[in-house]
Amino acid sequence: MIFYEIKKVFSKSMSKIALLVLGAALVIVSILTINNLEYIEYADGQKHVFTGIAAANKLRDAKNQWAGYLTEDVLAKVIEENNKVNSSKESQSDDFNENDKAYAEKQGFSSILDLISRAFSEYGDYDYYRADSITAQEAKGLYRQRISSLEAYLETEEKQFSDAEGDFMKKQYQALDTPFYYEYEDNWKALLQNISTFLLILALAIGFFVSGIFSDEFQLKADSIFFSSRLGRNRAVLAKIAAGFLIATGLYALFTFLYTFIVLLLLGAGGSGCPIQIDMWDSCYNLTYLQAYFLIVAGGYIGTLFSSMLAMIVSAKTHSTVIAIIVPFALLCLFPFLSRIITLPGLCSLFPDQLLELYIHLKHSVTFSIGGTIRTSVPVLLSAYLLLCAALPPALYCIYRRTEIK
Amino acid sequence: MELELQQLTKSFGHFTAVNHMNLTMSNGVYGLLGVNGAGKTTLMRMLCTLLRPTSGSISCNGKDIFKMDGEYRRLLGYLPQDFGFYPEFTVQDYLLYIASIKGIRPAAARKKVQELLPQVGLAKASKKKMKKLSGGMKRRAGIAQAMLNNPKILILDEPTAGLDPNERIRFRNLISELSEDRLVLLSTHIVSDIEYIANQIWLMKDGTLIQEGTAREVIASMPEKVWSCRIEHSQVSDAMRRYKISNMKSEPQGAMLRIIAEKIPYPGAVCTEPSLEDVFLYYFGEKVGEEA
Repeated sequence: MIFYEIKKVFSKSMSKIALLVLGAALVIVSILTINNLEYIEYADGQKHVFTGIAAANKLRDAKNQWAGYLTEDVLAKVIEENNKVNSSKESQSDDFNENDKAYAEKQGFSSILDLISRAFSEYGDYDYYRADSITAQEAKGLYRQRISSLEAYLETEEKQFSDAEGDFMKKQYQALDTPFYYEYEDNWKALLQNISTFLLILALAIGFFVSGIFSDEFQLKADSIFFSSRLGRNRAVLAKIAAGFLIATGLYALFTFLYTFIVLLLLGAGGSGCPIQIDMWDSCYNLTYLQAYFLIVAGGYIGTLFSSMLAMIVSAKTHSTVIAIIVPFALLCLFPFLSRIITLPGLCSLFPDQLLELYIHLKHSVTFSIGGTIRTSVPVLLSAYLLLCAALPPALYCIYRRTEIK
Repeated sequence: MELELQQLTKSFGHFTAVNHMNLTMSNGVYGLLGVNGAGKTTLMRMLCTLLRPTSGSISCNGKDIFKMDGEYRRLLGYLPQDFGFYPEFTVQDYLLYIASIKGIRPAAARKKVQELLPQVGLAKASKKKMKKLSGGMKRRAGIAQAMLNNPKILILDEPTAGLDPNERIRFRNLISELSEDRLVLLSTHIVSDIEYIANQIWLMKDGTLIQEGTAREVIASMPEKVWSCRIEHSQVSDAMRRYKISNMKSEPQGAMLRIIAEKIPYPGAVCTEPSLEDVFLYYFGEKVGEEA
């Protein structure tokens, strides 16, 4: 039964076109992600800008010279190297091209330099040139600075955390393992920064695939035979729900894997064990890139499942595939628009579209107070929508099995 | 196998489609005859558990069919009036899918499909997509799906509608062939279909049964006589206004009419044997006129 339900979906011409569109989206987003990486090289007096795979290879070579734990000595050495480049004639020059040459020399340790700049900027702020005015001795206190910068922020009037939230953030900051393990991680950075766009396209496409599972029986006038069959009001309905679930899960797993595989194959897979703070300095989530990746993918999956289940409920209730297709668009594209109009920041960060934006949540540390306990937004979103996803199939089953053919 | 309808009523707002209907059916072919809108399809949908009655009950061997749920539908084969299909499925896939939702195991389903395809004349078309089938072939695929579970109750709603004469005769014969040892309820407004295959005929009008019995009994129930006569062409419009005319044939010498009337309508008119079509016209004449 489930096999035929899936076959019904994929035998439609529109589904075949949608698969092609999804394949095209995969290629385009992969190319855009890969081209995020840039490497500048000067050879024979000529500037060469590398992007994509070539940039990845050169960045990997340059950055992995600094691979290892970012101890006090390493941080001091980075400042020394930075000072050395800054004092070069290229860097001192007024010529923009000459400055570029100096920048090219920093590419191997630019991420570490960024960390230092962020640590010594004000909390939540980023002064790109801050590392230039830091001494090697000061740089050694990078990890302490992270905590003291937060503490200083929590003393200000502009703070956006309650006292309890502030305490929670401090605990999270203190619990972070230091020194950081560092290696070339631009690949993961590019992957995590771009995956949300692809997951959104994927969720919308999956919504399209599952929207007709229930309503097509009516649109094709096959409803009378379906509901008058022995299992038409019980197991056949379950088979439709299972088909929807399998299609959503299968397509999501396949295309997410393909996207990840393409990006990591071409940009390299190393760096998965680095802490996300290398990219998301203020984050209170003590995770590695790989763990963050799984969280983002899990969020996307739950968001896809939720919008697909709602689309199927609308499909079963209204008997209209067109209306059902609109549901994922409304949930995932209209809600972000609404959140710009509605000034309820706490509520907006719980809208279903946020499941596909977990990168932002990981980066900006949204917290909630639930029953006096402080919770970060990512586990709240994941568990709340997982529960909703679990509640939707029984509702869908009840709606569809009670259908009357008038 | 016995189906019993007790005070069965179905209303849609202020409109009553089936009105306090009482019926008992056992094995045999039942023909439900009525014009469009008489309530035939609503009645059939209730018999197929597609619609719940507003009041009254339907029981199968004494048990309420809605409480029996899947147990009742296991006995049921249904060919709806305007039935749809999955256009990209082949005939074989379509039948295998319907077999699966009828709870037939895949091995048994494959065997049954192989049995049914030649019986309905679709053996060569088994790999053809449903959307490529002609109207008649689709109907035959429809009857095949209804027969997959070897139903004890077979409900066919307007099975010959839209078929060309050849296909209609072929389909009628197929239904006769399949009707052994089961209860077949056949609804149509094509009188000849019923006349040929139904053992028991029910005339339905405005949601109620107005006449029932064998073809002979239903014909005998008509209180008026059927007259055959030839009149001048100029008299035709007057005749149409005054009488129910079941047939008219224009000839050079005048118009040959078949008139339903209590008394002789024109001098020289000959009283002839009434047919089921005459009965249909007698009971549903006004509606036929309105529809035309």
